[in-house]
Amino acid sequence: MKLQTKFNLGIVVVFVVLAASIGALSIHYVNTNTIREAKDRVSIYTRAAWEIHDGKIAQIEAALEVLARTQTVKEALQPSGDGRELLQVREELERVRQEQEMDVLNLLAPDGTVLLRTRYPYATGDNLADDPIVQQVIAEQENSTGNIILSRDRLDVAGEGLMERVLAIGQVPQGMFAGAAVPVVQDGEMVGILQMGTLLNGAVEEVDRIRDAVFANETYNGKPVGTATIFMGDLRISTNVLDNQGRRAVGTRVSDEVAEQVLEDGEPWTGRAYVVDTWYLSQYDPIRDPNGDIIGMLYVGELEQRYLDLRRQAVVMFLSVVLGGMLVAFLTFYFLTRGVVRPIRKLSHATHLLSEGELAYRVDVERSDELGELASSFNKMAERLGEQRREIEQNQRRLKELNDELRTTNRNYMEMLGFVSHELKNPLSSAMMSLHTVKDGYLGEVTDAQEKSLDSVARSLDYFQEMIKNYLDLSRLEKGELEAHRQSVHLRSQVVEPVLEGLSKSLEERNMEVVDNLPDDLEVYADSDLLRVVYDNLLSNAIKYGDEGGIVELDGHLEDDRVTLSVYNEGQGIPPEQMPRLFKKFSRLDSPEHAKEKGTGLGLFICREIIEEHGGRIWADSEEGEWVRFSFTLPDQSRRSNNA
Amino acid sequence: MPEKKGTIVVVDDDVQLVESVTTLLESVGYEVFSAYRAEKGFDLAKEKQPDLILLDVMFAGPPGPDGFEISRRMNKDEVLKDTPVIMLSGVKKVLELGYDVTPDDDFMPVEAFIDKPVKPEKLLTTIDEVLEAQG
Repeated sequence: MKLQTKFNLGIVVVFVVLAASIGALSIHYVNTNTIREAKDRVSIYTRAAWEIHDGKIAQIEAALEVLARTQTVKEALQPSGDGRELLQVREELERVRQEQEMDVLNLLAPDGTVLLRTRYPYATGDNLADDPIVQQVIAEQENSTGNIILSRDRLDVAGEGLMERVLAIGQVPQGMFAGAAVPVVQDGEMVGILQMGTLLNGAVEEVDRIRDAVFANETYNGKPVGTATIFMGDLRISTNVLDNQGRRAVGTRVSDEVAEQVLEDGEPWTGRAYVVDTWYLSQYDPIRDPNGDIIGMLYVGELEQRYLDLRRQAVVMFLSVVLGGMLVAFLTFYFLTRGVVRPIRKLSHATHLLSEGELAYRVDVERSDELGELASSFNKMAERLGEQRREIEQNQRRLKELNDELRTTNRNYMEMLGFVSHELKNPLSSAMMSLHTVKDGYLGEVTDAQEKSLDSVARSLDYFQEMIKNYLDLSRLEKGELEAHRQSVHLRSQVVEPVLEGLSKSLEERNMEVVDNLPDDLEVYADSDLLRVVYDNLLSNAIKYGDEGGIVELDGHLEDDRVTLSVYNEGQGIPPEQMPRLFKKFSRLDSPEHAKEKGTGLGLFICREIIEEHGGRIWADSEEGEWVRFSFTLPDQSRRSNNA
Repeated sequence: MPEKKGTIVVVDDDVQLVESVTTLLESVGYEVFSAYRAEKGFDLAKEKQPDLILLDVMFAGPPGPDGFEISRRMNKDEVLKDTPVIMLSGVKKVLELGYDVTPDDDFMPVEAFIDKPVKPEKLLTTIDEVLEAQG
């Protein structure tokens, strides 16, 4: 992985972790805050709704107090008065009721008996002393206000149209009134009671006022931001919550959970409420009558969606700020690290080039910090390496020149050696001819002493001959003229026998016997000329170093693709410590037994070169003081059939 | 002096070798004539009509025909074509002729091939064999 990628990945990981933590924290913070705020606000809204509702009732009370002080009302209550006064005051009161947009306005006797009603059919004579509001006025002789439930029979006499309004909502034959009652006092004595109220069932004015005052009648995404409802028991009787058809959703009921907590336990309920088709943050407060009995609920709700969206906006804004900050931080970090990574990358590239031998390349980093130092050190190092390489190359050239010179010298030397050796053959030939002519007695009897001396000369000449032969072979080898022209060769007749023929005299002199174990039909794929050189050397050695009167054994066998041939003789053998240099050029065995037999130290080297030219291997086994066996292999024998 | 066995012409540019071979051959009863250059050898052979010719391959000195050429010329000569020739050579390796070169009527119309240096016994045996084969 690239350094820059690692840095980037590291910072991204750090930032992601940071962002996740900050995001989670902020979302948690926003959530807790908005929810708490929403609850607080709903609670405030509910109090405001109560204020409005109670204000309405207070307004009724105030209107009644004014009426109770009027002379007309007091006169109408005079015990002496006849029906005319009552009729007059009824018209007056009915006008007031309509001005106040109230549903009922009654004048009662101090015991609660209805003296007059301002609503058709103006029924009178029934007693309202058990009405909780009226009951309090009778008992305390003071103003009383509140919300009450009117049963069916009360509604029937209360006035025309009320029962119909009640029944229009949920078919429940009772109504919920908000109202007040005040005593009418004459000379310190209560002479009557004025009672006024408004039927809440199906009324819209009050809930709409709550909505408008608290929520300014705003809408959000086509839905009202806030709604208010008055429940009679669990029944919606006055609301501005709209149903699916856009009508006010009166006649529907509240959930069991809310009903239980509010209506039965008398506790306010706060929380999310699913109203008709959407969620509202809501509060339900119990409505009690003056006796303290729970008769209904006041509900205020605020559209939750607005909060959710506000919350989302807050979160989005918060996260945008966080992410924006991180982006800025990341970019800053990126450019900072790039400033570090780029020179490193340049150095890495330069090192790569250097490792591939591009010593002339220099890093271009101009900085005053550690990286700059590194780059300058690198350049110095490359400079030094370049110098060293030039030096090495120069030395190599010089070595090569020297080597070529040496090779030329060697070649010249070998050519001269070959030429000289060849030139020596002619005098050697005539010398040997003359010597042997004398020694063999062709020119007359030879004495023992003479023969001994002549033998010594003959041995020298033999050595001389062998030397010439080897030097000629060596000269060919060193000139690179040795090349095996392989063909199918019958080993015994074409190689071994001609060689033995040349060595027969020596064998006879040493009284040695050759045991030929070679298979009669053994044919090898080799250069017969070179192979004869090998056998000539190995057999000459065997005769020269073998035990006088001992045997020399020839073996050979073909196995798979390879023929293995060997020459064995009884004799002193070869000490193990001398084995390693046996086949080296100019190596001679140091042993007293061999002292009188001089060798050129070339024979085995030539053998090895010839065998290796054939792709084979030559080696020696020996038991010191007992025997020695030279073996060699010739591979690729199967090619014989293809090339023969 | 042993009984006369026959006449041999020796052609070789090496005076010492000619002398030693002559000494050996005369010691066993041959009459020997010698020449030191190839053309001279050819002329000498025509003149003496020997029983056998010993012929060197390479000749030092001024340019002239070598032993092979002379042997081929002899083979075509009316007088000499039946005279056996033994080729003496010290140059086999140098010429890369190979060991197995056997006398061949066209290329090398000779009866035997002897590698120098040669010992007296080997030379005499070869001469005896060639002469015997001639009948």
